[in-house]
Amino acid sequence: MRAVVRHGGDLVRQVLTWALVLALSFPLFWLISTALRPDTELFVRPPHLLPRTYTVDNFSKLLFETPFLTYFRNSAIVAISTTAFVIVIAVFAAYSLSRFRGRFSAVVERMILITYLLPSVVIFLPIYLMLSRMGLANSLPGLVVAYTTFALPFAIWLLRSFVDSVPVEIELAAMVDGASRLGAFVDVVLPQLLPGIISTALFTAILSWNEYLYALILTNSDAVKTLPPGVMTLLTSSYHIEWGLLMAASVMMSAPVILAFAFLQKHLTRGFGAGAVKG
Amino acid sequence: MASITVSGLGKEYVRGTSAVADLNLEVAEGEFLTLLGPSGCGKSTTLRMLAGLETPTSGEIRFNGRVVNDLTPAERNIAMVFQNYALYPHMSVRENIEYPLKKRGVDRAERRRRSAAVAQLLQIEPLLDRKPRNLSGGQQQRVALGRALIREPEVFLLDEPLSNLDAKLRSYMRAELIELHRRVRATMVYVTHDQLEAMTMSDRIAIFDGGRLQQVGTPDEVYNHPANRTVAAFIGTPAMNFLDGEIAPEGGAPVVRSGSIAIPIEAGRTGASLGRRVAIGLRAEAIRITEGGVPARIEIVEPTGHEAIVTVSVDGRRLVTRTAPDSGFRVGDSVGLGFDARRLHLFDAATGDTLG
Amino acid sequence: MKVATDLESRDRRLGILLLLPAVVLFALLILYPFGNSLWLSFNRINTMTLASSFTGLSNYREVLSSPEFWQSLVTTMVWTVGSLVLQVGLGVAVALMLHQNLWFRSLARGLILFPYLLPMVVAVLVWKWLFNDLYGVINHLLMSAGIIAMPVDWLGSMPNAMIAIILIGGWKYFPFVVLAVLARLQTIPEQLYEAARVDGASAFARFFDITLPQLRNVLAIIVLLRAIWDFKEFDLIYMMTGGGPVSSTETLPLLVYKQAFPLMQMGKAAATAMLMMAVMSLFMVVYFRARRRFEDA
Repeated sequence: MRAVVRHGGDLVRQVLTWALVLALSFPLFWLISTALRPDTELFVRPPHLLPRTYTVDNFSKLLFETPFLTYFRNSAIVAISTTAFVIVIAVFAAYSLSRFRGRFSAVVERMILITYLLPSVVIFLPIYLMLSRMGLANSLPGLVVAYTTFALPFAIWLLRSFVDSVPVEIELAAMVDGASRLGAFVDVVLPQLLPGIISTALFTAILSWNEYLYALILTNSDAVKTLPPGVMTLLTSSYHIEWGLLMAASVMMSAPVILAFAFLQKHLTRGFGAGAVKG
Repeated sequence: MASITVSGLGKEYVRGTSAVADLNLEVAEGEFLTLLGPSGCGKSTTLRMLAGLETPTSGEIRFNGRVVNDLTPAERNIAMVFQNYALYPHMSVRENIEYPLKKRGVDRAERRRRSAAVAQLLQIEPLLDRKPRNLSGGQQQRVALGRALIREPEVFLLDEPLSNLDAKLRSYMRAELIELHRRVRATMVYVTHDQLEAMTMSDRIAIFDGGRLQQVGTPDEVYNHPANRTVAAFIGTPAMNFLDGEIAPEGGAPVVRSGSIAIPIEAGRTGASLGRRVAIGLRAEAIRITEGGVPARIEIVEPTGHEAIVTVSVDGRRLVTRTAPDSGFRVGDSVGLGFDARRLHLFDAATGDTLG
Repeated sequence: MKVATDLESRDRRLGILLLLPAVVLFALLILYPFGNSLWLSFNRINTMTLASSFTGLSNYREVLSSPEFWQSLVTTMVWTVGSLVLQVGLGVAVALMLHQNLWFRSLARGLILFPYLLPMVVAVLVWKWLFNDLYGVINHLLMSAGIIAMPVDWLGSMPNAMIAIILIGGWKYFPFVVLAVLARLQTIPEQLYEAARVDGASAFARFFDITLPQLRNVLAIIVLLRAIWDFKEFDLIYMMTGGGPVSSTETLPLLVYKQAFPLMQMGKAAATAMLMMAVMSLFMVVYFRARRRFEDA
């Protein structure tokens, strides 16, 4: 009798948990469901949970009648350039912070953590003025420079935790075996670090891909707009809001992010907390 | 092969606190020397200074008479085995073993030849294409040794190489290492906190405590003639018994007295002047349970199979002794103790130095 | 046992060299702009010529005497506390649920993390669609459940707009709490629970005597960290309401933005930003203290 009660309790718990999970992911479902239905089905009362007729009209309109592809390309260029630039510098910096501990590196470390928490609005004005003066406002290189302000501290912090987890002994062993310090780094640390570098690169790329504020103030022509301000323009520019089109744009701009996260499963906690929670 | 001369060696991580202080040590060519001591005693720091992984704060290290202080680890022509083996995880066993040769520009054919020879010596030929993570602890240990052996280096440095193995494998690898040393006759410096390893493997043992070298000597010397109380306490299982005592005359001959215990002092021991306060050191085998003698009570009996470790109390103080396993003592029995005057150790009560 | 060796002293120059590019970029892109912001806050900037004239503390006086700033500070606090409570409550609850046996647990975990993964723009668009006054699902559901009689204007009236952004903030960021709490839950040794069970503790007692105390430190850090991040949130609120209706959801970051760009009052914007930074640095100090304390513990 008791076992049955306990079993019943478990069933209730399972159902309740899944009800909550489904409720919390309803917006996701609604996003996809809206993107795949024709305009005529948007305003039906009561709304259909699933489209009666499936269509890719929203997607084709998005790709062929709006500057969406330009935005997409710009976002990709900025994300990839920022990541490539930042990762190279961050790998060396993270290695240095992890292995050469001194007063200088302690100061740098503290600075990185503070920067990681620094609001963009505190420095965005000077960055804007600086980039304008250099003629980089309203350009993709300008965005890369601006994104470095948050991508670099993030990447250094995350990579540091990866370097920390590579045992010092194998480096020492390589030096005893005849390698120089840099040789040991290249021969034995770098191969160990590769998964960490890839993860950090993906996280950094996602940060840049999603960034809105700098893109908002630094770009004003369609030719250099990235996805976040670009898609928001699609919302505000048209006379009546085309929800199907916007949901299609949302699906398409989320797709690379979701794909990236599929690879990152293992490091999610580390990447999101970036050492800020665990220390 | 090289001899090592260490003179006045010191290391301070934080100013004013020495990890190693004023160390003088000679290692002969082909010798197996063990650095022994509790953790934090300076033995590992010393080894790392020999390797060039730490820079000495003072003093000199010479290999074959040549000062090597300013040489990088790579330039010293040493090989080192780390406690956790430090195998390169992304390289195969073969690549691990050949790495030191590769770094010295040895060509591929020669590397293959020598790695094959080393693999044969260590019986790891079937493992050559595996990655370290697919090896057992003992196998990883052999690969680490192989990587050290392939170089034919001046000096082998081994940092607690057996401490990560289980007890059975450890005693097996101990024998293997002894055999290996006999075969390659290389200069080896071995760090451990395990006195059994030190006693069974070494030509000589250097015992460290608190950053200072306490004694260097053969296993027999450090066991039977410890330089001071620290060494005496560290070497030997069960640990040496210590009692506070005083040298007193008894019927003309001097004895050392501690409560109801009085042990005659053999003639010719010059350090034992009358009235001196001393620490008495008695190994378990220097105490016999007999008829008569000093009255004592059995407190604990721990049979180990081939003997029994028996703890007795004499007016409130506990002493550990060993007996035959079938001696039939029970906890609570009243017995008598006899003491072997020839195996009596005396130490200065204040300094702990051995009294002659 | 010291882990790093003092090869570091031999190779110290190499260490500094490797750090140098990062430090130079820091100086150029963070320290200099920060200093520049500080300097701007003491100046009046001519928007046409960008010429500046030193005016001392007058920007600060102006900001501090404007009801706009204080109103915005209160709004920021309401938003921060509201969404924080929602994030932590939902996050801890979901983490505890996911920590137990669950059918298709990894699917549930993936679904739960989704809001956090989505670009903010996407989250905003979906919620704007859900909150749409005429065709939104939320109004439809509330009306068919009989809770409201007429469609509610969610984003264009108060307090609805604040409730809406708090809800979205809670939904977007609670997965962070789930991840952090789940990670901590997994490190609680199973023996503790076994020992408690042997000692006769009920499921309730086990939760209050073991789980909760073990989570205390990580929760403190999460709350501080999320508070800092929520306090400076710009994207969500700006895209969702633009600070409206009128300025009733205009938090400090939005105020700084408004002063800086549409209004081009750079000195004033910089002063507001510095004041906001001052408030935030209180959180940061507490955060760093807590971090250090928990690291030592």
